[in-house]
Amino acid sequence: MVLEVKDLTKIYHVGLFKRKEIVAVSNISFDVKPSEFVSLVGESGSGKTTAAKMILRLLKPTSGKISFEGNDVWNLKGLEKVRSYYKSVHGIFQDPYASYNPLHKIDRALYQVFTLMGQSGSDRDGMVREALKEVGLRAEDVLGKYPHELSGGQRQRIMVARCYLLRPKLILADEPISMIDASTKASILKLFSKLRDEHDTSVIFITHDLGLAYYVSDEVLIMSKGSIVEKGVPDDIMNRPQHPYTKRLKEDIPLFYKKWVGF
Amino acid sequence: MRIKKLDVSLGIFVGMWLISIFGSLIYNVDPLAIVGLPEQPPSNRFPLGTDSWGRDLLALLLGGIRNSLYVGVAAALIALAIGVTIGVISGFKGGFIDSSLMLVTDVVLVLPSILIMMLVAAYLRERNPFYVSLIIGLTSWPWVARATRSQMMSLKSREFMYMSRMAGLRDMRIIVEDLLPNMASYTFMAFVLLMSGAMIAEAGLSMIGLGVTKGVSLGVILYWAQLLESVRRGIWWWFMPPGAILVALASSLLLLSTALDEYFSPRLKGG
Amino acid sequence: MALLESETVKAYYHVRQGYVKAVDNVDLSVDKGAILGLAGESGCGKSTLMNTLMMNVKPPLHLMEGTIVLDGKVISKMSISELKKNIWGVLVSLVPQSALNALMPTKRIADFIEDVISHHMSVSDPEIQSMAKKRFEELNLQVDSLSLYPHELSGGMKQRAVIAVSTLLNPKLLIVDEPTSALDVSTQKQVLKMLTDLRRSGIIESMVFVTHDIAVLRQIADGVTIMYAGKIVESGSTDDVLFHPKHPYTSSLTSAVVTPEPEVRERGLVSIPGEPPDLLDPPKGCRFHPRCPMVMDICGSVEPPLVEAGAKWLVACHLVSQGR
Repeated sequence: MVLEVKDLTKIYHVGLFKRKEIVAVSNISFDVKPSEFVSLVGESGSGKTTAAKMILRLLKPTSGKISFEGNDVWNLKGLEKVRSYYKSVHGIFQDPYASYNPLHKIDRALYQVFTLMGQSGSDRDGMVREALKEVGLRAEDVLGKYPHELSGGQRQRIMVARCYLLRPKLILADEPISMIDASTKASILKLFSKLRDEHDTSVIFITHDLGLAYYVSDEVLIMSKGSIVEKGVPDDIMNRPQHPYTKRLKEDIPLFYKKWVGF
Repeated sequence: MRIKKLDVSLGIFVGMWLISIFGSLIYNVDPLAIVGLPEQPPSNRFPLGTDSWGRDLLALLLGGIRNSLYVGVAAALIALAIGVTIGVISGFKGGFIDSSLMLVTDVVLVLPSILIMMLVAAYLRERNPFYVSLIIGLTSWPWVARATRSQMMSLKSREFMYMSRMAGLRDMRIIVEDLLPNMASYTFMAFVLLMSGAMIAEAGLSMIGLGVTKGVSLGVILYWAQLLESVRRGIWWWFMPPGAILVALASSLLLLSTALDEYFSPRLKGG
Repeated sequence: MALLESETVKAYYHVRQGYVKAVDNVDLSVDKGAILGLAGESGCGKSTLMNTLMMNVKPPLHLMEGTIVLDGKVISKMSISELKKNIWGVLVSLVPQSALNALMPTKRIADFIEDVISHHMSVSDPEIQSMAKKRFEELNLQVDSLSLYPHELSGGMKQRAVIAVSTLLNPKLLIVDEPTSALDVSTQKQVLKMLTDLRRSGIIESMVFVTHDIAVLRQIADGVTIMYAGKIVESGSTDDVLFHPKHPYTSSLTSAVVTPEPEVRERGLVSIPGEPPDLLDPPKGCRFHPRCPMVMDICGSVEPPLVEAGAKWLVACHLVSQGR
């Protein structure tokens, strides 16, 4: 088992005397096996991004346990252990522009991760060049440039190239293609498949797009208002949805091959 | 429109600097020397006239600009250093450290700085421009700390921070590489505002007789001017030039900070 | 019969480095009673085209060439004051992208309506309010939302309120630009239903729906026009264009649709290499040729003309114009 999430919860206390409670994530549990693509599907406010941040150690949970290869992710003592975690578990986010510090060249996004890999004296330039090639970019085209000088597709590919350098066991991809043009979406998805085929990488896709989840996952988890309301393989979710939320979601998605009734 | 604001304010400000540097070289008269008859209006010999002791007011003005600028810069640097350091640590660390530092900040904020300055100033018999800068600097940093802290806290939750955090970088490295550069423009503006405030504070201190004892500043000239009742007696060439210059300097700095704000904002939003 | 007819429309942005040819020689028409879907990716010029079609053209955007005729009136020759008085809101209404975010946060919906209506008609406030109430009831919108502030409404409710207000004066043509991109699927369906209801009840006659989401177009549009890099590459009925596309770009767009349907799994997802071009200096010949899987020699030098490939079916591709 690569990742085990048990009863993960996040409650925000807001308001004048911090009295009001907002339950962003409520007791979710799921696990991820090696080489598995799992999708966490939910609409905005469902808590899926909050869950991802907690798994990535970017947001502290209120309660619950996240274990990576048997170790409690929030109980890592020392910088070395944290670095070792990030070498194995990494994240890619939705907005390819906001993900970069606008004042630095994008090279930093790639060279930064060598801190996690600890190999000094190895051919860093060569490794970066290789990683860029894997994602279909030429080093000459993108190195030395600032984020605003590149397109959204290029920026997102560089994020994936960063993962190619690390060869993590698990990637959390939060809406990785929602801000990418339709004609290039599929090529970014293929990069994830490549990582799985070549390095047994598992991916948790966080998305609002049930169609994407259906197409790409081994398992689909439907989230609504902070809880996981249904779990299953894509075919079951689509053809035999159990939970009313899943049923409604399925009915409201604009299909391409079938036409809606009564429109 | 915004380019013009920047030009005007920068022009005035740079102009003052040049005057202060080259002015006394060109017009080489000792400000404190008695060189003429007292209370003479502006003439060919004395472009700004003389004061009640017969000293050359133009020489006094040039020397005064220089010292006022000096105090402005020095006090601003001191306040900036303290304020930014505290703000960065507080904003980044959060929790107990944040609460304690903000408590200290609030205490200093609430202390009546004029009184403190007066007490300290009265205690020090000899006050050179550096001491005056120190007094002003040590009492004017709280708003900078609070503002820096807010900037820090908002920057910390920006998405680009995830990348550096996931790269396992140490806190200090993240602060220096990711956060400070994004705060650079704000820090610069804070400096400009601090300088403006410091020059006026110095003038204020001087006007109640607690400013520099060695040398002369714009505030000191004004102090003597009001001591000898120049307003009532119509000796306008004594109080008007330093007053006007002080207002021009402070206003140009305020204008500069607004212009810089406009200049930096669109630039930061995506080149 | 066409409600809107535009010919040889060229709308360019004048920037420091030259002209951004956002809309370059476009002929577009909207039939009476039809919902036309306009699809294309980021930077293809669809939003610019929409603004141009209703003559909402302000520097740095300039209408370089072209005629636009709406309901028999040549609006491309009208002055701004004429447009404001008789055309905008009255004959044609545009709901721009992120309109729901442009609502003034300090004004109630009812106040917003008053502002809009009093611009066009000298009607008393109580009359305006009763008009608004009646229309909201007609469209199944909660009438009490009229007295609420924007932040008190959900995204879907805001969007529907904005659409309701834009159509208060019953414009013949409604143009909506990405009205549902920021909404979740259930809210999207509600908004789409409202839009089709507007046509069904006769409040509007025709509609242009701009989006990048092909599946949505398939569900509500009668006809579809595909834009790429400032040009129209294919247009025709929804069935023809989406299910039997003749332009390679259209095929790649439809093959990139990812819906939870078994046909998608069978077909697989297709992508095309490269990025949409810079409109300051677009490619010579066919603008799509650097990325086209069926590119021929002629494509790099000669621009393909928009020709008829069937009944009311236009395609701009050498494959078609050369009869292959």
